[in-house]
Amino acid sequence: MKHMELRLTVNGVAKHWTIAPGDILLDVLRREGYFGVKRGCETGECGACTVLVNGKPINSCLMFAAQAEGAEILTIEGLAKPETLDPLQEAFLDRGAVQCGFCSGGMILAAKALLAHHPHPSEAEVREALSGHLCRCTGYRKPVEAVLAASTKKRPARAKAAEVSR
Amino acid sequence: MFEGVEAFYRPTTVREALHLLRKAKGTARIVAGGTGVVPGGDRSVRFLIDITRAGLSYIRKRGGAWTIGATTTMAEIEDSAEMRMLAGGLLASAAAACGSVEIRSMATVGGNMANGSPAADLAPPLLALDAEAAIAGTAARRKMPLADYLAAVCAGKMKNALLVEIVFLEPSAARGGWCFQKFGRTAVDISLVNVAAGLQLDARGRVKWARIALGAVAPLPLRMPAAEALMTGRILDRALLAEAAESVSDTVHPIGDIRASADYRREISRVLTGRALEQCAARAGYSL
Repeated sequence: MKHMELRLTVNGVAKHWTIAPGDILLDVLRREGYFGVKRGCETGECGACTVLVNGKPINSCLMFAAQAEGAEILTIEGLAKPETLDPLQEAFLDRGAVQCGFCSGGMILAAKALLAHHPHPSEAEVREALSGHLCRCTGYRKPVEAVLAASTKKRPARAKAAEVSR
Repeated sequence: MFEGVEAFYRPTTVREALHLLRKAKGTARIVAGGTGVVPGGDRSVRFLIDITRAGLSYIRKRGGAWTIGATTTMAEIEDSAEMRMLAGGLLASAAAACGSVEIRSMATVGGNMANGSPAADLAPPLLALDAEAAIAGTAARRKMPLADYLAAVCAGKMKNALLVEIVFLEPSAARGGWCFQKFGRTAVDISLVNVAAGLQLDARGRVKWARIALGAVAPLPLRMPAAEALMTGRILDRALLAEAAESVSDTVHPIGDIRASADYRREISRVLTGRALEQCAARAGYSL
């Protein structure tokens, strides 16, 4: 088996790993201890393996690890600050949008990417953003509510006040 | 799954990619988004050539012709302000209909064509736009009609060639309308049938030309020349739309598989073609 070097940034930390040329990104991330990246269908249908690569949500089960050379990767482990959860994580907890948790990491990262570009999405936009994520426990209503709640929470105070006065 | 892979290359030019492809003598696979190659799981692959750094991600207009680089992603097409305008957003809406957000930030137009799937969502719109494929191979770079390229892929004749870009002319917008329709079980499903249609009318409501292409209803995505011809020169009305849709359902020869029976796909072809043409008429500003 031949090997190659891979240099990338994961959750803000520079990494230098030795991989096989045919390695899949999902396998490498889990091998390196990022177990929040879930192995689900391995065919790009369930979204459990979603990570952000340079800010874009991708299925890590469909990407060769070697393609991540030089990339910045965010996994669910990198979302919270040491003491505080991300507002999306808070919202998922508040709304009971997490049951077994297997799909949650992927969903939250997909939502993170959505909110980065559309801070105040409509429900339809949230549903579209989560359409690549299968949940087998709670269903989709609560995750959708959670993302909408997180987007409202982030709204600047002035915008909120304007809404109230309307 | 890809334990047999000996090397992963990331060429920065098309020339370098071709050199690597030639050197591998049929044991290499070109990779872009990975959404086709990875689930394919071809264990015979010894070399992977990632072309996403070869400078082929662009949407450009030169003169009246649009050029889309092979590694342009579905998301880039979907989000492109120009593609949202062109032909009533025909290509942008087809790109947006393809898989999930995650898939669309990986999958590329080149992969969608080179993969040879009869259900490829960008194939009917590109066929309807009379697109050409620019190919680099052992010989000089050449252009061929996209339909010929897809047929060659299907026949296994494109293994040593690299799809570089897709080229098509900007269609006339006057009294014209375009529409993409897809039918699948869910929002992220592979198309059971997909349709792209376009038409242009004269001042009296006569059809100047019609373009209809369908996917997932034959081994290859197909244009529907019989239906197009029967519409040309006639006044557009509901009877003509029904006639064209009927002609399409007579022309398609779908398979029956785990996703849908052949009869069902044929019926869906008729219904979707009708809907697409009706939308085209509406977008052309014509009331039926």
